[in-house]
Amino acid sequence: MGRFIQFALVRAVMSLFTLLTVSLIVFSLMELVPGNCAERYLAFKNTQGSQITIADIEAEERRLGLDRPFMVRWATWVGNVFVHQDFGDSCILRLDINQLLSDKFWISLGICLAALFVSYLIAIPVGIYSATTKSAVTNNSLRFISYLGLALPNFLLALIIMLFSTVMFGDSLTGLFSKEYRDAAWSLDKFLDFLSRAWLPIFILGWSATAFALQTVRALMLDEVGKLYVTAASARGISGRRLLWGYPARHAMGPVINSLGFDLNRIFNELPVVALILTLTEAGALLIESLARSNDQQLAGAIIFLLTASIVIVNFVTDMMLALMDPRIRKGLIGS
Amino acid sequence: MKRALLQQPTLASKVASKVASKVASKVASKVASKVTSKVTRTGIQVLAVAGIMGSTVGVTPALAADCPAVTGADNAGISVGQFPNQYERAEFEAAAGCTLAFTANPDIEALNAQIQGNGPLPDLADRLPSEPLVIVPYESIGKYGGTFDALSNATEAGTSDFLSIRHVNLVRYSDDLQTIVPNVAKGWEWNDDFTELTFFLRAGHKWSDGAPFTAEDVKFWYDNLALDSKVIEKPKDYVLVAGEPMTVDVIDPQTVRFNLPAPKPGLVAHFATSFAQGFQPKHFLGQFHPDINPDADKLAADAGFENGLAVIKAYFGNSDWTDTPSPLLNSPDKVDNLPAAVVPTLESHIYVSDTTEGRHLVANPYFFMVDTQGNQLPYISEQDEVYINDAQVRLLKLVNGEVDYKAQSLQLSDVPILLENQEKSDYTIHIRPKIAMHVFSFNVTSDDLEKRKVFGDLRFRKAMSVAINRDDLNEAAYFGQGVPSQYIGFSPAPDFVDPKWKTYATEYDPDAANAALDEIGMADVDGDGFRELPNGDKLVLNMQFATQGIAGQVVELVGQYWSEVGIQTTVKEVTPDEYRSAQSSNQLDVGMWEKSQPLGIVLGNNELWVPPFENYFAHRVGMLWAEYVESNGASGVEPPAYVDQLIADINAFQSSPAGTPDSDALGANLVKNMTENLLFIGTALTPDPIYHRNALKNFVEFKTASYEYYRTYPYLGPQWYFDE
Repeated sequence: MGRFIQFALVRAVMSLFTLLTVSLIVFSLMELVPGNCAERYLAFKNTQGSQITIADIEAEERRLGLDRPFMVRWATWVGNVFVHQDFGDSCILRLDINQLLSDKFWISLGICLAALFVSYLIAIPVGIYSATTKSAVTNNSLRFISYLGLALPNFLLALIIMLFSTVMFGDSLTGLFSKEYRDAAWSLDKFLDFLSRAWLPIFILGWSATAFALQTVRALMLDEVGKLYVTAASARGISGRRLLWGYPARHAMGPVINSLGFDLNRIFNELPVVALILTLTEAGALLIESLARSNDQQLAGAIIFLLTASIVIVNFVTDMMLALMDPRIRKGLIGS
Repeated sequence: MKRALLQQPTLASKVASKVASKVASKVASKVASKVTSKVTRTGIQVLAVAGIMGSTVGVTPALAADCPAVTGADNAGISVGQFPNQYERAEFEAAAGCTLAFTANPDIEALNAQIQGNGPLPDLADRLPSEPLVIVPYESIGKYGGTFDALSNATEAGTSDFLSIRHVNLVRYSDDLQTIVPNVAKGWEWNDDFTELTFFLRAGHKWSDGAPFTAEDVKFWYDNLALDSKVIEKPKDYVLVAGEPMTVDVIDPQTVRFNLPAPKPGLVAHFATSFAQGFQPKHFLGQFHPDINPDADKLAADAGFENGLAVIKAYFGNSDWTDTPSPLLNSPDKVDNLPAAVVPTLESHIYVSDTTEGRHLVANPYFFMVDTQGNQLPYISEQDEVYINDAQVRLLKLVNGEVDYKAQSLQLSDVPILLENQEKSDYTIHIRPKIAMHVFSFNVTSDDLEKRKVFGDLRFRKAMSVAINRDDLNEAAYFGQGVPSQYIGFSPAPDFVDPKWKTYATEYDPDAANAALDEIGMADVDGDGFRELPNGDKLVLNMQFATQGIAGQVVELVGQYWSEVGIQTTVKEVTPDEYRSAQSSNQLDVGMWEKSQPLGIVLGNNELWVPPFENYFAHRVGMLWAEYVESNGASGVEPPAYVDQLIADINAFQSSPAGTPDSDALGANLVKNMTENLLFIGTALTPDPIYHRNALKNFVEFKTASYEYYRTYPYLGPQWYFDE
């Protein structure tokens, strides 16, 4: 047991270190881009007809604290995040980030996790079937569909569906909520309304995720089914589903569980583009805004921090799951 | 434009005497005679007379009748008022021989209930000023109700189009974009040397929470917000005159005077075109301002804020921008402790929700305008704004008819798809001229001395101008919708502009261009088909552009025209930030960005005529000249004499009343010096699309598609209505 706790602690410390490093990388990269947040903010205002001088930009920089060296800014920010759980203010939106992200990040995470769940719900049985089926037609059409999922960019799929819906139904399928629920507090009706819209991003993100997962599961299964222990089990008279699920599939699942954190990251990476096209107002869209348009270091840092934290947590959980599932690891850590 | 403002003495006294005689038959002959004498003395201002007449003649005629439905389409035999499309109440009642009976939106109680902090409504008569502004609807008396759907890019981006619909300010430009007309103020008056500007407000005018709006609110905005460094760190240029602050005197609750340290006739035009409203509710924001209320900080602490100024920041966003997040968005956890969710307004609609997805507004039950039958405006009950930042999705929503009106962010290249779907989705596209045009410039103070010599040579710039095939460019890049033109600074061209400048050096003449380049000594030394600099160095014009400032197609075509006369070019798209940063560090060979300003803006802002010839976010050239001018010659490069002349002329131009022969001569000279020196090379004046759904009525075709007169503000958004 002691070794298990040690294992968990080491993992936790490494996770924290990852979080720190990621936020430093985000801050540093954003520092390289010309034009800081004060300038971007006033550039927006300039298109609103405001006459702006260099002095205005400097005043804005002072107001936002951008005149301090960037390591100082980063250290202050990280300190506040760890000590007060306070992400500070978004410089471009002038809002408290904790408040801003409270709903939005969960919505994004929910969409990604749903897409992840859907993709494995489909990919695992279909992948196993595809690896073991003898029908060339089924196998090839499954492979064709999954390659399509890999090859078709998400944003294009989103645009095709939106265009189709616009032409056929006169609804562009954009946004996360209907107008009547946009400003309402969360309720069952609002959640159902949310689902009636959220299926589209989940479907689009799930589509390519499924294709990817399908290929993974199929390849892992193909690796396993030819192995000796399967033949041995088969020789002992085990056949059909019992054989597949009990032996090769069980082994093939290990790497799949191991890569869940990676999959979540990949889906989240695709989310901003889809979110922009579908005008979803969640964290993915905000991330693009803060990175590309406004150079809002604190906001981008906060979103990526939360995302990294989610992935780290998922990894931590899958590590634990694997440790408990795999008798070899379990025994190594806990003793029998 | 200034003509309306600066009536000749004869006209002023004529009107004044007419008014005076009417007024005299009623009451307040004392006031009338005072006003008459003042007007006759200054010989300038007639507006104040109409206003003061309003305050004294609000008396029922013996034979009152229901007022006729006077509209822009049918004036019902009623003579046009002093200003187009509007009357003061008394002026209208006198002209129509009737008394206005007022009616409100039947849903106004329900709308008011949505405004957090508003109590029950008093009667309409107590909500309207005793002298409401009577608006003449363009087509017909409207119907109440409906929700106006709008698109913006984000909370503080791409919003001015929508903001302008409900916007009010002390004054307004009429839809001819030349006449300044009363709005919140019922009149104004200058002293002889344009150093005292007095505004006359409406008796009984109320904020959206029912509190009286008075001259104190103007002074509060100026003294305690605009000039208070605790609120706005550095006073904005527009609240200063020649860099110095003004002072504001409250003469009486309905009279307020700005005292200017130097003449600035353009100050009225500023209030007519600016998003910055010259008033804020002292009764409301003042309670949180420590200079006004000693208990401000305590009051703020009770609501959970750090101090009073933090509450002001939450409401006012510490700027005059009216789209900053309200407490609904920036302090959702504290908003219930505050006396109201958003700061009271004089505008036609007020926020009731504010999220990162969009905003929702309802009609202001205390709005000060009525139509000619006494119906309180606005007709449209609610407004809904949704944030869409992607151009393609925006277009999709427009094509679907999901939006009632849009102009900002739409471009000429969107026109084909918008036109194609007009009938299907029941909307109309107007194609209207823009103010600014795509303009090229050469870095006349380039760090490379040989380039500086060539770019600084007028023969070179003229050769580059005539090398552009503008007709071809117009067809290929502007769908044939543009008018090939030279850059003259002003747009649209005021009357004082000699027409020859509008097309100066715009004829396509590659032979002349080649001859001029030969003459400068730019020969093709190495035989690669392109000319070298006179000293034999290779010249490749690096054309870096940002699509925010100019269309890529235009840049590519112009680069090609220049190549055809032997000037090698490379074209590269960069982000606006990169462009600005290259411009600031004097790294650009060629400047490319939209440019031009209307007279109304130039009167109050000299930046277009002083190196670097515009602000940080716009098209600058002569960065080292600018350094020289700013440092009084200590560093930088001395500009040529014509630049000194431009600076002298613009300063004189701004201090002389517009429309006078002096001012016109100065304006003409500005245009001559700017145009014949070709610091900026024009392309074509082009239009942009304006979208509105056909169900939106009383929508008049705009004169321009542009920001400069504050978008829809001249076209009376409060009298729009829906007929589904």
